[in-house]
Amino acid sequence: METLSDTSTPAKRPPAPKTIHRWFIAIPFLIAIVWSLIGLNITLSRLLDAPGDAWSILRQMVPPAFDEVYERGAVGKIFESVYIAWIGTIIGAFASLPLAFLAAHNVAPIWIRSPIRQLFNAIRAVPELILAVILIPITGLGAWAGTLAIGLHSIGTLGKWACESIEDIDEGPIEATRACGGKWVSGMRWGVLPQVMPVISSYWLFRFEINVRASAVLGMIGAGGVGSELVSQLSFRNFPAASAVLIMTMAVVLTIDTISAAVRRRIIKGAVTTDEDSRTLAAITDLTGIRS
Amino acid sequence: MNDHTNTSERPVKPKPRARSFFIALMLLALTFWAAIKVSFDISTFWEVWTNPIWSMFWPIPWDWVFTKENTFDPLIETLQIAITSTLVGCLLALPISFAMSSLTTPNKVIYFISKTVMNLVRAVPDLFWAKLLVTAIGIGAFAGAWSLTIFSLAVMVKLFSETVDAADPRPLEAARSSGARHLPAVKAGVLPTVFPSYVAYSLYIFELNIRASVVLGLVGAGGVGRVIETQRQFFRFDRILGMLVIIFGIVWVIEQISVSLRKRLV
Repeated sequence: METLSDTSTPAKRPPAPKTIHRWFIAIPFLIAIVWSLIGLNITLSRLLDAPGDAWSILRQMVPPAFDEVYERGAVGKIFESVYIAWIGTIIGAFASLPLAFLAAHNVAPIWIRSPIRQLFNAIRAVPELILAVILIPITGLGAWAGTLAIGLHSIGTLGKWACESIEDIDEGPIEATRACGGKWVSGMRWGVLPQVMPVISSYWLFRFEINVRASAVLGMIGAGGVGSELVSQLSFRNFPAASAVLIMTMAVVLTIDTISAAVRRRIIKGAVTTDEDSRTLAAITDLTGIRS
Repeated sequence: MNDHTNTSERPVKPKPRARSFFIALMLLALTFWAAIKVSFDISTFWEVWTNPIWSMFWPIPWDWVFTKENTFDPLIETLQIAITSTLVGCLLALPISFAMSSLTTPNKVIYFISKTVMNLVRAVPDLFWAKLLVTAIGIGAFAGAWSLTIFSLAVMVKLFSETVDAADPRPLEAARSSGARHLPAVKAGVLPTVFPSYVAYSLYIFELNIRASVVLGLVGAGGVGRVIETQRQFFRFDRILGMLVIIFGIVWVIEQISVSLRKRLV
């Protein structure tokens, strides 16, 4: 028991680690920030004025003019956004599923895998709005341009997620299928698909949630949906109507998020409910299910 | 051992329940209805290649694209918007995330209010914020920086407060039992364990903001999208295509740097 013998003299505090290298990170960081603030011409007076301007607009937004926007057919526009998101997600899902099998490193050879992975990366790099800018002259203004933009963009993310979940599987069932004389396709159908389908279908739902927001935005440049309604109300400075559109959009987005999150939880975790009561408050406040 | 010569009976396939059948039917009906509503047109996929509009995308006028005022100045503005909004948004997110986590929240009222407000803020898409702020405080990069700040704040608190929720509660308990008050206990007990995730998420938010700030200009909130919007109105798709090549080249390089930094952090 030597270690306990000299408790009378307290142990020395270990020396603090040297921190000089932190400055090499901090200084470029600070320079970038100062450069940005100067470049955007952000002055103290502008910063102090902005909340006041925003507040005066906010005051004009109450009460929201629900009747007016209802008569203009805003509800139909919001549903159009949901339809765009739904069809876009289906296009993305159907196109990405076979591609994901060809991109996974445990089931596909490298010569087909790497071009498809690059395709996913390239698609993900281009935002929906930019795709819509390119597609609108081709298909004309309207919902179909937005649907195609969302569908194309979804292929990138859905393909990447599906590919990652295929790479995580247990490879035993593929081997079993092969041992029974199955071809590559049967291995995929009976060995891989049953394992990954729950995860992939919950990714589809998650992407649908994202797409609802994206399709609302797409309307702002004329690709169908509720965005055009918000833009026209704001440019007429009809703030009560704009806030009504905004509130209705938020209501639809939150409803879809909540339903979809519940379904996803059901798919992944099953019907089992555990320590649900202790988390009631969290369940009430956590209206959406976005994960990291 | 049992007799292996008899093959065992194949188990009976479970019958589909009436409820699942009904749900499938409803979803199918929704899909058809939605397809009609968005004027779904499968022929687009092969007719698109013969569309004469493609000739407007080519050739790319590189001498127009490679100029300071057309591409590089707006691109710099885009970067500045992304840097500013990431910085301000993530700094504001730090205290709010701690208030929003059930582990470190000072009390239930603050927890409830911050969580509800942040959920509502996140329900509004980023470009809606941009359009609202452009209307409220004027066209330009300033409104864009504000809108991305709000949006990155909302996304950051969601990501980071969940990390705080999952943090080890024992150091916090130790700090509390040694008599520390709430803030010092959180600072000493929780912050060091979650700080690497905080930095990693900040970089992730920076990537999101870079992409978002490219399109901000389409609604008048500054950056490189402003030029795209102008050229779109003149139907100069060749110029747009050239700009997009440069933009996505640069965005890609920045993302690769950020991704490799994040990998080292977590």
